[in-house]
Amino acid sequence: MDQSESLWQFMQQQSGKLLQQTVQHIGLTFISLFIAVLIGLPLGIYITRHRRAAGVVLGIAGVLQTIPSIALLGFMIPLLGIGPLPAITALFLYALLPVIRNTYTGIDGVDPGVREAAVAMGMTGAQRLFRVDLVLAFPVIMAGIRTATVINVGVGTLAAYIAAGGLGEFIFGGIALNNTDMILAGAIPAALLAIGLDFLLSLLQRMGAKGRMAAIRVLPAVILLLSSLYVFPIGNNSRLLAGFTPEFMGREDGDIGLRSVYGLKIRTVVISDAVMYKAIYDGKLDVISGYSTDGRLKAYDLTVLDDDLKIFPPYYAAPVVRRNVLQQYPELAPVLNKLAGRIDDSVMTALNYQVEYRHESPEKCAHDFLVSHGLYHPPRNGSKGTIRLGSKIFPEQYILTDMYAELIRGYTDLQVDSKTGLGGTKICFEALLNDQIDLYPEYTGTALLAILRPPLHDAERLAANRDSVYAYVKHRFNTLYDLEWLDPIGFNNAYALMMRRKEARQLGIHTISDLADYLKKDKL
Amino acid sequence: MIEVKNITKTFGAHKAVDNISFSVGDGENVVFLGTSGCGKTTLLKMINRLIEPDSGEISIGGRRIRDQRPEQLRRGIGYVFQNNGLFPHYSIGENIGIVPRLLGWEATRIAARTEQLMEKLHLPPDQYRHAWPHELSGGQQQRVGIARALAANPPVLLMDEPFGALDPITRASVRKDFKELDELRSTTIVLVTHDVQEAFELADRIFLMDKGTIVQQGTPDQLLFEPGGEYAREFFEEQRFQLEAARIGSADYPALIRAFDHFRKTPH
Repeated sequence: MDQSESLWQFMQQQSGKLLQQTVQHIGLTFISLFIAVLIGLPLGIYITRHRRAAGVVLGIAGVLQTIPSIALLGFMIPLLGIGPLPAITALFLYALLPVIRNTYTGIDGVDPGVREAAVAMGMTGAQRLFRVDLVLAFPVIMAGIRTATVINVGVGTLAAYIAAGGLGEFIFGGIALNNTDMILAGAIPAALLAIGLDFLLSLLQRMGAKGRMAAIRVLPAVILLLSSLYVFPIGNNSRLLAGFTPEFMGREDGDIGLRSVYGLKIRTVVISDAVMYKAIYDGKLDVISGYSTDGRLKAYDLTVLDDDLKIFPPYYAAPVVRRNVLQQYPELAPVLNKLAGRIDDSVMTALNYQVEYRHESPEKCAHDFLVSHGLYHPPRNGSKGTIRLGSKIFPEQYILTDMYAELIRGYTDLQVDSKTGLGGTKICFEALLNDQIDLYPEYTGTALLAILRPPLHDAERLAANRDSVYAYVKHRFNTLYDLEWLDPIGFNNAYALMMRRKEARQLGIHTISDLADYLKKDKL
Repeated sequence: MIEVKNITKTFGAHKAVDNISFSVGDGENVVFLGTSGCGKTTLLKMINRLIEPDSGEISIGGRRIRDQRPEQLRRGIGYVFQNNGLFPHYSIGENIGIVPRLLGWEATRIAARTEQLMEKLHLPPDQYRHAWPHELSGGQQQRVGIARALAANPPVLLMDEPFGALDPITRASVRKDFKELDELRSTTIVLVTHDVQEAFELADRIFLMDKGTIVQQGTPDQLLFEPGGEYAREFFEEQRFQLEAARIGSADYPALIRAFDHFRKTPH
């Protein structure tokens, strides 16, 4: 009951956006479908007349079909950048196989007696094609177009990853934010769209001979019209273009805060963080939402804009440990705290850079760091017991756990069992709570917003201050879960707005306020 | 009308038509008779270039068919298929009007011609003009096939086992109505069949074929009463009595039955 009510509310609130995304989605689906039919249909006809080419053409189209959609989008980016072009290209490639194959099968399935009669009556090749083959193969060809349409509606949601809009913006935003209403607000229209279009096309498919002739003439115009619905998702016409992740778009401490607190008005596209950094580096984007210690910051020579009005809460990292383990091995806490205050933002960024960009192993990176800071001790015998280390599934966490592992082996008689790559926050935290691991590095902001989820005004009150957030989560974890937060490691892996260093310097933009001011002036 | 010189067609190692020559006179009805695989259908299809010969020469009305555009050639040649080959997505009226439409006739002229042919072939136009082929019986479909082939008044009509797919009673009825068409008087017909009775009923001249060659040619009477060899004799043996009775043209059935009994008892 609650769910459906809040979903309805959400959809009403976001109705403008929802409509825009739905229209974009339909447009995206049909542009690529149109191109697929434009190319697939003649190709299908061609291979009915040149049988030897059929195997090759169908084979290639089949291979394209088996490439996972997200990977196909990935391949597109280096070639075509971000935005509508790679999205349409990827969708077109998916739609191609059903169109070609069904055209081929359909024409191939026309009664040979009828085809021979058409020849014997003196019809030319074109007359046979348009008056006999295509009309009789129409139901089968339409079935292929139906399949392609449904595939396109589904795969089209992924367009949101590469700044091409569509209903995926809500779906992936909702997944990232663990917001069911948002997911459903994207998923339900997408599903309805797939079902509705499938139904409409099924009516066409079952049409009698007279209707088919009409459909063959009218259909291209209809598809073209629907294609024209797709307009490149542009908010307003500022000169700079921002790319934000779906998650960032939906967060109070994200796009919403940027608008309400900074009054930032910038053209925005939604994009996956996997391709965002490359896109800004290539000049496809000018501002992105990233993480302040991401190694790519260094790799692509980006600069973090100062959050002068403090809308991004601090995300200080510190090890979270089961209390009973600390009691059982009192020597453990001091060893883990050896890292406290040692790694600031720039050090962590450099470490991430080595792993993410230079492709060094987290283990070597951790080892080198400890050696250079005089923290390294060779392993002792490790006979006393075993500490189970967990980590989330990204490089920064791997590096930290590897450091902790070396420290524990070097300074205590404890053995270490690393359970790295435990997915996201939820999995790590549950594993810790259920005695599957003994500790993992966590971030204060994540603990606050993703685990504790205090009422909104509490969160706002806490958000700006590093120490108050740390004190709050430490206290709550202790009383609620019997878990201990040790001392912060030093760096703050928070949300950040980033620009290319060179451009930011040219435009004199150092803070987010500078950016907001620049955009206001630029518009005038 | 049709002049065929030294036509040969080979499929792989199989010689379907082996150096055949013949000519068909204006308005003449000839039948190529033979078992399946004797090459008669291949021969027929070479006349309207559905199949191109490996060597040899065919002319129609004094013009070599090789020199004509195949589409143009075919629009002047009616063609009736064993399995009718009607367009399932065209109504009966539209099916009959296909060739006139290709030739650019006016709609009223096509409609009038269609109606005329449907009446002659006992397909009431009001009832069937807008019907679909699948709504018709096999015999009716074949009537439409014949009407379609004749719609544009082609000087030449090719027929490939035109009654072969019909049951005996329907076959007799369709054949009878076909024979009565006044169009046929001015049309040169080449028909292929394995049905001896059909050949005798429709042919001015019969070409008996075996293994890609013509074994014997002549009028039905010549083939029946003066068989030119062992193959021809054997070919007609089984049905000799019926054929001879039909040639004699007797309607005296009791006499015929007595003759038949006598024929059976007599060793021959």
